[in-house]
Amino acid sequence: MYIMSHYNNQNITLDTKYDDNKQCIVGTCSDMCPREEVTLRKKEKLVHVLEVTGSGYKLIKSYSRSAASANMAVPRLLRPYPVLFDTIHYLLIKVSNRSDVPMSVLYDFLNDRLRAVRQDMTIQRLPPEECIVLLEPMIRFYVYFGYRLCEHPLSEYDPVLNKKYLLECLKWYLSSCDLIERSKVGVNDVDEIIDNLSSLNVNRGKDGTLSCDRILVESLYILCNLDDIHPLYRYLNLPKSIKRVSILKLTYNIALAHQHRNYIRMLQLSTRLCPLTFSVLCLYLPSLQKRALQSLSTAFNSKHLTVPVRVVQKWLAFNSEEEVRSACKYYGLEATDGVFFNKSNFKHNENMLPPKKYYKAKILSLKLEDVLSYTI
Amino acid sequence: MATGTLSQYIQTVERMFRLGEGNELARLLSLRDAHVVNRNLRSSDIATMVEGNCVAPLDELIICHLLCVKAICEKEFLEAYSHQSQCVVTIVKILQNQKEQNWCLPLMYTVCLDLRLVAQKAETAQSNGKILEKAAESLLSCFRVCAADNRTSDDDTKRLGMLYLVNQLLKVYFRINKLHLCKPLIRAIDSSPLWYQFPLAQQITYRYFVGRKAMFDSDYRMADEYLSFAFQLCHRKSHKNKRLILTYLIPVKMLLGYMPTRALLQKYDLLQFWDLTSVVKNGDLRGIDRIMEMHENFFISAGIYLIVEKLKIIAYRNLFRKVFLAENTHQIEIASFQAALQISGQEDVDSDETLCIVANLIFLGMIKGYMSYQHKKVVVSKQNAFPPLPTL
Repeated sequence: MYIMSHYNNQNITLDTKYDDNKQCIVGTCSDMCPREEVTLRKKEKLVHVLEVTGSGYKLIKSYSRSAASANMAVPRLLRPYPVLFDTIHYLLIKVSNRSDVPMSVLYDFLNDRLRAVRQDMTIQRLPPEECIVLLEPMIRFYVYFGYRLCEHPLSEYDPVLNKKYLLECLKWYLSSCDLIERSKVGVNDVDEIIDNLSSLNVNRGKDGTLSCDRILVESLYILCNLDDIHPLYRYLNLPKSIKRVSILKLTYNIALAHQHRNYIRMLQLSTRLCPLTFSVLCLYLPSLQKRALQSLSTAFNSKHLTVPVRVVQKWLAFNSEEEVRSACKYYGLEATDGVFFNKSNFKHNENMLPPKKYYKAKILSLKLEDVLSYTI
Repeated sequence: MATGTLSQYIQTVERMFRLGEGNELARLLSLRDAHVVNRNLRSSDIATMVEGNCVAPLDELIICHLLCVKAICEKEFLEAYSHQSQCVVTIVKILQNQKEQNWCLPLMYTVCLDLRLVAQKAETAQSNGKILEKAAESLLSCFRVCAADNRTSDDDTKRLGMLYLVNQLLKVYFRINKLHLCKPLIRAIDSSPLWYQFPLAQQITYRYFVGRKAMFDSDYRMADEYLSFAFQLCHRKSHKNKRLILTYLIPVKMLLGYMPTRALLQKYDLLQFWDLTSVVKNGDLRGIDRIMEMHENFFISAGIYLIVEKLKIIAYRNLFRKVFLAENTHQIEIASFQAALQISGQEDVDSDETLCIVANLIFLGMIKGYMSYQHKKVVVSKQNAFPPLPTL
């Protein structure tokens, strides 16, 4: 007789209700930069050097904080999906090839313009199918520069902010995927899904175009959050068809090895990663090395026995024997030809060493354009 | 009590309010009470019928409640949700007006519980936890009123309502997977001097959720403490709840080195853990993989898959202990450990990885001893080389 107990049997037909409440603004600006901004920035001499091209000015809408007084939701200032798509394409494929400015300046410029793209996406509440297409190349961009700039001084490049933007894009992308997944329950028509994809003018994997690779993003999400087990629970609850893809499974196994502190297996498995995923893992090396040195200090604790430096180098993916020695010294361990592991000497309160470029990371010899198009 | 016509219903509610009968009032405004099927209460124009016939802000509460009932009968759950959340707003007003008394708490409990249940019903694929998130905000508004009532005597303070609300909030946060929001709530309860005055049932629910959270945060000692409390004090007839608690308590206990008995597992229909127990004891790595695959759905849906995965570390320890007992020496070749790993299911393991696994066990204190790289040997302590897990 009680109402609550009846609930379970009813099919809920509220699907669209919740969505209809929002009124979406549709942008009408057909250029990469609204006219008003072009005029203003030219007048105020705010044109970025990267917006000056051989064929004249080519301005891109820049990011501006949404202040209380400014009304951002003006259709003529917002770019619709096709224009946003072209903007990203232009930024990441054309502008990223410019070599007349330092890499950190290039990064700052691209990051700012991509943030403006995301802002337009948010204000217009683009549907998830469009969001994932726009976000995926941005994710690759943040991963790529996150590694290429990792040795730059803080004044030129801030790794924390980069990670913040990266995670923002990753989470947005993945929750869009989940929305698509849920709404297509019942629709299992493969043709329809393919039609949907092709109508968004995504060409998978061809050179000079952008691609949309969910497996890559799922893998990156796990590898960016190795210390957190929630991404692993996410993986476990993914649809079987996605979970079974071998490259994603590999990533999961790497994260699992990390949970078990099995660094040897972790690094052995990592040789099979693609350049982008590998570079994310490499950023994690200093933390991995510190923890590994700590447990080795307990396990090989001895006054006179040592472990050869070259062995430690191989185990923990150091660039050189010299790097092993300096890391050991930093954490309070003595190292000559061999490392004198000693648990009482190990300084576990010491901060992690900053990341260094690892010579095995293929991404170091690739251009942004190269990492935008491959699929795994 | 028959509720009869709408005006009779209003009179009854009003009388109970004046008499300060919290429980009776709660029943009259519950969505899970018999009065909701009374058609007389679903008149087409509830608002005008009630208004003026009843003291404020009680009239508002009755209107929202009856509108919510009507919406539920029409299966308009989103609408029902918005009426119910309006009920909570009114409750907050009522609570704020009643200084130094807390007889209204049962009413607050009922309305808040119903809010969560309606929000759960209103959730759809599109809303993706948004409605429950809003419900949590409403619950927090009640929580703030209760938590702020710190000048009233311990018997009459609304702070006694905090734990009930926290439990509702914990349920919401677990459901929408926002565990990080639990932390301030847990701090508020743990620092509350009223702990022993909260009803036992609420204490148990609270310990259950906080124990689960500790488990996800890999704090197994705390998880053990909280879940054990919940299990031991949970009413013996609450079989379903005891089973739920055990689903988490067993793997946590196993990680700490206590294996469950078959009788217990049988009693609570949790025999999935029985096979696991024997393979972990034997250090049978292949067996663990097999059982994890066999019960994958159960382990994943319960959210304990990764905890079970962690049992492999215990299995390594047990396997190496067997090697140690078989070799009967204090200097064991790494190669023997490696062979044992290979035989028990990890065929691709090399000597470096074996070293790494042993190193971790030494680091975790599960093996007492040290390694020599030159001799490729593990030297274990003459006494207590493999200390029993519960002593760690």
